[in-house]
Amino acid sequence: MIFNLRNSIILFSLMIIILMGSLTIYSVTSIDINYFLRFLLINIFVILLVVLLFNQINLNRIFSFGWLLFLFNILLVLSVEIFGKEINGSKRWLDFGFLSLQPSEFMKITYAIFAIQYLRFYSFKFSKFRTIFLLLVLFLSAVPIIAQPDLGTGLVYIFLGLMFLFICGMHRLYFISMGIFGVLLSPLIYSFGLTSYQKGRIVSWFSSDQTLSEKWNILQSEISIGSGGFSGEGFLNSKQNEFNFLPEADTDFIFSIYAEQFGFIGVFLILLSLGCFIVMTTLLTMTEKRLTSDLSPYYIGTYCTLVIGFSFLLNILMVSGMIPVVGLPLPFFTKGGSSLLCFSIMLGLIFTSRGFLK
Amino acid sequence: MKDNKIHIYRTRTKFLLGVFVSILTLVIVRFFYLQIVQGNELRELREQNINAFEYIYPKRGRIISSDGIVLAEDRKVFSLATDIEQKPSEQSIKKLADLFSEKIIVEDLRVKVGSSIRYRRSEIVIEKLTQEDLAKYLVSGADITGFSVIEGYERQYNSHPSIFHVLGHMGYINNSDIKYFSPRISKYNSKLWSKVGKSGLERVYEEKLQGEHGKRFFQRNARGDRRVITDISPFREGEDLSISIDFEAQKLAYELMNERKGSVVVIDLQDFSIPVAISTPSISANDLRDISSLQYQDLLNDPARPLFNRAFMGLYPPASTIKPLLTIFALNNGYTNWDETIFDDGFFRFEEEERVFNAWREGGHGLTDLEKALVESSNPFFMNLSIRYEKNLFVEFLKSSSFGSKLCEDCYPHQFSPLIDDDWKYKNFGKELYKGDFINLGVGQGYMLTTPLHLSLISGILAKKGEYELPYLVAKKQNKLSITEDITEEDWNRLQSSLVDVIYSPNGTGYRINAGELKLAGKSGTAQVVDINSREEYDEVRVNPLLRDHAIFIGYAPHDDPRYSIAVIVENGESGGRVAGPIAKKVLEELLNDF
Repeated sequence: MIFNLRNSIILFSLMIIILMGSLTIYSVTSIDINYFLRFLLINIFVILLVVLLFNQINLNRIFSFGWLLFLFNILLVLSVEIFGKEINGSKRWLDFGFLSLQPSEFMKITYAIFAIQYLRFYSFKFSKFRTIFLLLVLFLSAVPIIAQPDLGTGLVYIFLGLMFLFICGMHRLYFISMGIFGVLLSPLIYSFGLTSYQKGRIVSWFSSDQTLSEKWNILQSEISIGSGGFSGEGFLNSKQNEFNFLPEADTDFIFSIYAEQFGFIGVFLILLSLGCFIVMTTLLTMTEKRLTSDLSPYYIGTYCTLVIGFSFLLNILMVSGMIPVVGLPLPFFTKGGSSLLCFSIMLGLIFTSRGFLK
Repeated sequence: MKDNKIHIYRTRTKFLLGVFVSILTLVIVRFFYLQIVQGNELRELREQNINAFEYIYPKRGRIISSDGIVLAEDRKVFSLATDIEQKPSEQSIKKLADLFSEKIIVEDLRVKVGSSIRYRRSEIVIEKLTQEDLAKYLVSGADITGFSVIEGYERQYNSHPSIFHVLGHMGYINNSDIKYFSPRISKYNSKLWSKVGKSGLERVYEEKLQGEHGKRFFQRNARGDRRVITDISPFREGEDLSISIDFEAQKLAYELMNERKGSVVVIDLQDFSIPVAISTPSISANDLRDISSLQYQDLLNDPARPLFNRAFMGLYPPASTIKPLLTIFALNNGYTNWDETIFDDGFFRFEEEERVFNAWREGGHGLTDLEKALVESSNPFFMNLSIRYEKNLFVEFLKSSSFGSKLCEDCYPHQFSPLIDDDWKYKNFGKELYKGDFINLGVGQGYMLTTPLHLSLISGILAKKGEYELPYLVAKKQNKLSITEDITEEDWNRLQSSLVDVIYSPNGTGYRINAGELKLAGKSGTAQVVDINSREEYDEVRVNPLLRDHAIFIGYAPHDDPRYSIAVIVENGESGGRVAGPIAKKVLEELLNDF
């Protein structure tokens, strides 16, 4: 392991995020200190395990399983329809007893690995056919996710998939034309493609009627955030959580509880850590001296870093009322096995791609 | 080729990093705005979320009679209600329904529990638990969960029916109550009150009696099923109300009426307070509290009208009892003097209209002067006077005797005796008052109507030689009043001694009262219920009890130093002297023996 200043800062930022995430989950779900320790240990254990595991495996081996992993993932998503358990009106989870997994969470990884395996064969040359093929696979594989129904995860999956293709060098004309096409098609999608529940979320975001339940959630979230003030109410002192005013406090809206407890200082600390981690990791990967002809490790490393970064920002934009409510997890904060596992794998991929632990 | 790919990769990654950093900056600005700029506002909202309070209903003040009897008070009652912090199990619901099978059925209980859970509020399932109920519930308490005993108050009245009309009753607040109280009570918040005074003193003194709500502060969660009490500010009990009613005399008066319809009103002439005001028949004030609307309709439709307060609302022709008051008017304006005589043959002939009016005594009183006309109650004498009355002076005089104005500020509901003037007649008959009207008015018949309260006050005016005040039950409102006419002291003395003669002279219409030691002065009257034009009709009328004349008596005692004035009306009682008079005597004896 190379311990220099930059790597230390990256590791330190990451540790802050993981520690704060565990503390916040503990403050939301339980008042038992053992529970917190167990949670922190599980988090660190899973992260380390996955990172070390990936470190042992040659990335090329993983890439060579790309289409298999991707296919397996799609099958898991489809099997949710049959074996899945329903929570809040949508089937997203597979229950394995000791943990429940949301297979759609992993699609953003497996698609990237699949695309790498496919493109690497053609030395990352985007022909028309390959481009359209990859786009088709992306859009079609999003269908079962959206059908769960989980529009948020589906859209984010497409968005991240496109980001991956963007990093890999797909011609910008496709992005421009897709952008125009998307804007033109959006009224049609809104009218025919969305359920009333999904429409409600979008309508409520634009509405100023505070009595709508969606709006109420956002209001309660903003109240939590604002109540934190500059220095916060202190650890374990979230009244919005204590009196159950914030729904989904342990999952989607966990950052509001964090903001209430630790205030603007705490929020700034987390965002600073996130910024350090994402920017430094990306810059270091990008400016690597030994860039070889095979760019795939850099593509996947950069991609995973940015996925963590954008996931984080999207969730925070959502809880602070700047985008409509979509059920997006907050990396290393949200309570949930699949989210933790997914982001741990990404960390593993990031570190392995950089040969960080070698 | 390779360099180009690296270039594209680096450019695009930089672009994405740029987007990331921009959004990150935006998020920091957003959180700065929420936490620093809007922080206090949002924290205020959070406190509103969490901190709530509920009102604690206050205990209403008591009503106490002048002889120290508690006539109305709030008593503690216990009710069983659902507990919002704990959902009752199906088993508990069944057990509770079994336990109180005579009070509630299991289906109703389920409905109430359901709505309690739905609206997250405590629902009363059994009202007013008796001591036995309470014991039964507490014994099996461990098996029944999800319910709790809550305390409340219930108005309890002295059950004697004599007091109902004065006290009035309570009922659930409605729009007309809100309209009534809003201008009378400062900062009246109708939402806080469930039961309010509907009539009587309960209504007039609502503000004094009602007290002030306490507050129970608590923190509650979003679903409202968990609360932590943080502070309690206790309610302020309503003030007690001491009223002028002498309950012993009040009860006696009611019993003396012996189920007959009518009213007795006594005024204490020292301060013009009202020690006795009864209306018969009546009910117990407690009866009105828990009856169904059907039973209430029955009471409203009862021909004897037990809910109608005759004392302050009933309008009766004063008949002969108005004569002493009109004597003052006639003497002062020179319409007559103590020496003028007429020959009373039992009729009065009004020549202008060629009409003949019958008097009550067959054959008449013979040669009659003013004194004899008062003592023996001669109608022709006063009819003869009344055709001389000047209209405007007459109306002014009646006005100064409180016709057409409110008599008592704290009597509710209250009706004033109509002032019979041109306006009144225009409104009711489309014509002006003419001479013939005065013949009837002069003997307290025709259009003239007075309430028992007003008659008692007129008696007081006679006793106090024209100086009087407005009567009251709790608080004096207005200062001294007097009638417009001013006769000499000698005239007053002769008038008052005539009223003594009414009782003590063997010719007097009140001689049969046998007033004895009481030193009673007074005047009897017999008010015609229907217009009678011949003696034959009169005999017919006597057969139907509902068409019989009302017996009226007004008086005061002791006559040498008047302390109380009284008015007694017995509907269809026929003879004021024989029927109403003895009641007045016994009530006044009771009051004067107190001292």
